[in-house]
Amino acid sequence: MRFKVKHITHYRYAQRVTRCYNLANVIPRNTDRQQCVNSNVSLSPLPATKRRRVDYFGNQAFHFEIQRPHTELTITAESDIVIHDNDHEGSLDLGESYGEVLEYLSTTPNENTITAREFLLNSPMIKVDDDLASYARSSFDLKRSLKACVSELTARIFNDFSYDPEFTTIATPLADVLEHKKGVCQDFAHLQIACLRAMGIPAKYVSGYIETLPKPGEKKLVGADATHAWIAYFSPGEGWVEFDPTNNTAANSQHIVTAFGRDFFDVTPVKGVIFGGGKSPVLSVSVDVSRVIEE
Amino acid sequence: MSSSKTPSPLGQLQSQSQSQSSPAPELEYSSLAGSLDEVTNNDGLVKPQWQYLLSSLRNLGPKVLAEREQKARRILRDDGAIYNIHGKDGNASSSWELDPVPHIIGSEDWGQIEAGLLERSELFNLILRDLYGERALLRHGALPPEALFSHGGFVRACHNVQIPGEHELIMYGVDMVRMRDGKMCVLSDRSQAPSGAGYALENRTVMSRVFPSLYRDSHVHRLANFYQRLRLKLISLSPNSEEAPLIALLTPGSRNETYFEHAYLANYLGFPLVQSGDLVVRNGFLWMKSLDGLKRVDVILRYVDDAFCDPVELRSNSQLGVPGLLEVVRSGRLIVANPLGSGVLENPILLKYLPQISKHLLGREPRLASVKTYWCGDDQDLAFITANIRQLIIKPAYRGSGVKSVWGGDLNEQQLNQLLATINKNRYQYVAQEQLEKPCIPAFSAGKLEPRTALLRTFSIATENSYTVLPGGLTRIGSSAPGSLINMQAGSPSKDTWVTATEPERTTELEAAPESSAAHIESALVSLPSRVVENLYWMGRYAERAEVSLRYLRTVFLQLNGEYPVGPVARRILLETATQITATTPGFVGAPASLLANPDDELLLIIKDGGRIGSIKSTLNSMLASADESKALLSNDTIRVINDLRDALEQMDIDLAEGLTSAPDEALDPLVTALAALSGLMQESMIRNVGWRFMELGKRIERALQTINTIRCLITPVTVGADKSTLLTALLRSMEVLITYRQRGRERRGIDLGLELVMLDIDNPRSLIFQLDRLQQHLLQLPKSDMRQGELQEEERALLEAMTSLKLSRLSQLLESKTDSRDELNNLLQQLEKLLKEFNRLISDKHFDHRSDTPQLVTSFWGEQ
Repeated sequence: MRFKVKHITHYRYAQRVTRCYNLANVIPRNTDRQQCVNSNVSLSPLPATKRRRVDYFGNQAFHFEIQRPHTELTITAESDIVIHDNDHEGSLDLGESYGEVLEYLSTTPNENTITAREFLLNSPMIKVDDDLASYARSSFDLKRSLKACVSELTARIFNDFSYDPEFTTIATPLADVLEHKKGVCQDFAHLQIACLRAMGIPAKYVSGYIETLPKPGEKKLVGADATHAWIAYFSPGEGWVEFDPTNNTAANSQHIVTAFGRDFFDVTPVKGVIFGGGKSPVLSVSVDVSRVIEE
Repeated sequence: MSSSKTPSPLGQLQSQSQSQSSPAPELEYSSLAGSLDEVTNNDGLVKPQWQYLLSSLRNLGPKVLAEREQKARRILRDDGAIYNIHGKDGNASSSWELDPVPHIIGSEDWGQIEAGLLERSELFNLILRDLYGERALLRHGALPPEALFSHGGFVRACHNVQIPGEHELIMYGVDMVRMRDGKMCVLSDRSQAPSGAGYALENRTVMSRVFPSLYRDSHVHRLANFYQRLRLKLISLSPNSEEAPLIALLTPGSRNETYFEHAYLANYLGFPLVQSGDLVVRNGFLWMKSLDGLKRVDVILRYVDDAFCDPVELRSNSQLGVPGLLEVVRSGRLIVANPLGSGVLENPILLKYLPQISKHLLGREPRLASVKTYWCGDDQDLAFITANIRQLIIKPAYRGSGVKSVWGGDLNEQQLNQLLATINKNRYQYVAQEQLEKPCIPAFSAGKLEPRTALLRTFSIATENSYTVLPGGLTRIGSSAPGSLINMQAGSPSKDTWVTATEPERTTELEAAPESSAAHIESALVSLPSRVVENLYWMGRYAERAEVSLRYLRTVFLQLNGEYPVGPVARRILLETATQITATTPGFVGAPASLLANPDDELLLIIKDGGRIGSIKSTLNSMLASADESKALLSNDTIRVINDLRDALEQMDIDLAEGLTSAPDEALDPLVTALAALSGLMQESMIRNVGWRFMELGKRIERALQTINTIRCLITPVTVGADKSTLLTALLRSMEVLITYRQRGRERRGIDLGLELVMLDIDNPRSLIFQLDRLQQHLLQLPKSDMRQGELQEEERALLEAMTSLKLSRLSQLLESKTDSRDELNNLLQQLEKLLKEFNRLISDKHFDHRSDTPQLVTSFWGEQ
């Protein structure tokens, strides 16, 4: 499957910004199931410097510095993505049991497990606690396939929680999300990661895009797609396996990965410092994911 | 050592020293029974390396030693040596405490310590490189991954960012204590910006001055070489090989607890001292804002902690860093020493695994022991800690966590359970360490030598192929009897550490390299941060404002308490002028007659109410704060005078505690004298560089504005008879021209002459025209960015217009009055004031950095499907 992704981040400021320094995570990375074959970031106004690099987590980090006064900033990231079809549905209930995975993690210190153990620890926005652990526990059985456990957890989150963009902000603690059973994709991803870590399973935060398909007979709207977030857990046999609790599914060919991190903090799409700008800058984001029909 | 100087055993010398004159009280040192002591060996005899010192101190006697201690204290004070202690008011400072008895370490003994520290420096250098690079230590099981991944000092953004060459760790410090077996044991490592190296140098400077012969005859290893090597190393790190590198020392600012050290080292090394606001990232490079534009910075010696250095990638709310700094480092255009992320080494979990880490990296266990450390992240250790918690110190693994260390023995049952619960929830975040018995060394207290526990911090720096260790260090001792904590924040005194050789040390060539000097400062002036110069300017303005206010208030006291009674009209004008000059309105302005009749309370507040902007105290405090900011540029004499001012200010508080005394003007005299001394130094001892120009500019602008103010208040109202004469006398007296007036007055008298003296007399250094003339001269000497030849600059225009208006004025016209005020005079003064303020604004805008834009953070939201 081939996609073109266009991700536009736009800021409008109340007052002039004289200069700014930013770090953006808006270029999709390569993963086991996806390749970013082409990408470009364009900025308005033009930057004084820009630089791309691969960050600690293997993501594409894009740094830029603007030294001319501006009241609007537009970051346009365009990329061509190839996704290998990876239909995990058929292999459900296969693979190691939860017990075997725990055993393997604690007794096999190889490159992969050592790297994975970083994703067992508390991270800037995810602190495991007893409530989260007890919520998770009912889905985990030492003898059961780990994938089945995670799949069930994904389904429970999907069923127990309602999608409510009004309820949470970026700073809403997980305890509130758990108590009120409301949130957005980012909250559900954080919640599931916390549950997995509490159960001893390394889990990552995945930021990316999901392709939305128009209702039958309707034309797809430009910019209607969205930035999205889901999770990946570590399995000794399969590596990092992605699940999407917001949609109750394993990640499939409609899930395009931008970046991996311990949580949102590591993959914030745009962060930085601006000088000036006045109060409450207005942010708008538009994402367009379109299929490229291959000849 | 020659035979005549062979140290004698304790008993023998005693009788010799007492052979003449009356017996002086003696200084004896005896160790505390049962406690560990560095001076005596197991048999209670004094170790050879201490004998010479102790016998010399005995010869000096307590009285002389107390005098020397006083002298040391004076020098430290004059050097402005302080350690800012975070008081409740956030503003307290405390003088640096130096015990006059040095900590002696014998040369051979030191050889062991030095070798151990060299090896440890190499080891920590390799660990640092590995943790941000290959991470072989994790792969090979030498260090559990959680020990790294859970540590707050591990900065993921610094992964794979390395300094070219062999060394990551440029400057390194350790705290150590001596154990019962005589060997040293390391308690903790400092790898970000190890503090103390500057204080150690200051301690040495003071000790060598206070005990010149004892110091000379003890053959103490010199320290200067170490700092010269640090300087050379930093220069060699510059990624820019074409030009002379610009190296700057980055400090969190004058409120930081070790700011003295930052300023001291910057001065000693000859590097500009910079703060966050002095630096800016532009076009991928780091720049310093200096008077003549941006200067590219090549190397930063930083005293700001990792997390605070770059709000874009690290702690986003930091005001101490520079946005975009890390990316400049990553691109190789700037070297930061120690590198960002080096705080990962300040992790006590490493101590637990150090033997196996060392085996992996160096092929052997380290020579220098570390304190036995248990990690709660290890199952066995946790079980041990749980069982023995009362005998252990529980510490957070990350110093930046804000959690304090606790001694299990100090906690009750409930607190212990609470602590254990916290630990169990965050196992990776805690370690436990054994409480090491600290040995005692002698300290001078209340005329006696007392045993005090001691801790040594010493340092190493990367040099060509290895490391160089400071031969000595900063010894800190318990502030009271053994058992008390040693903590700088708690005000523990320090000691100089003497590594004594059996024969004099050879002077190396490096040591002969030029040290910090006036010439040094001069050459660095072109690349001064503009903030420093702006502070000099404000120092000049505040000093002048304080002086003018003081002179005027003194005049008011003399007039009001003088021989001739002051009539109500003159009284009102005199007092209102006091309010106007200090800008402390409303005060006496429009005040009821009752206040004017009893003005003492208000006058007192104008002097000593530090909370009131414009009061003498507040103005002087502002002046002192500006002086702190530009300390690196002030000569030792200037710093001494500034200390005198500080003292005079304190003394004034004491003198005025009971209200205004019979002769209140006398309470102000010491301040006037100190300010006059400062102004004299500015004239006589400061090099005429750009810093001096700005200080002078500040002073002249302020004096001109205040002269205008005084004349307008006292002379524009038309008064008659005694009032007229009172006010004229006040004007002349406060401007120090009363005597000249009386001398010249043989031919002429009256306001006519008075006004001429204070406005138009070019020979009077307090006249208005004199200030304008000086301002014009200084303006010509300022650095110019704009090379236009013919057309006048705006600031030149403003000044010229002021000068011309003043010169063209006619005294007779100025004194004319149709109403009860002299309108011509008033108009002229107003016009001059406006032009001067305009001039001031133009100068500030052109030369100082006014960050009108405050930085703010941007983030964006993700995932609103």
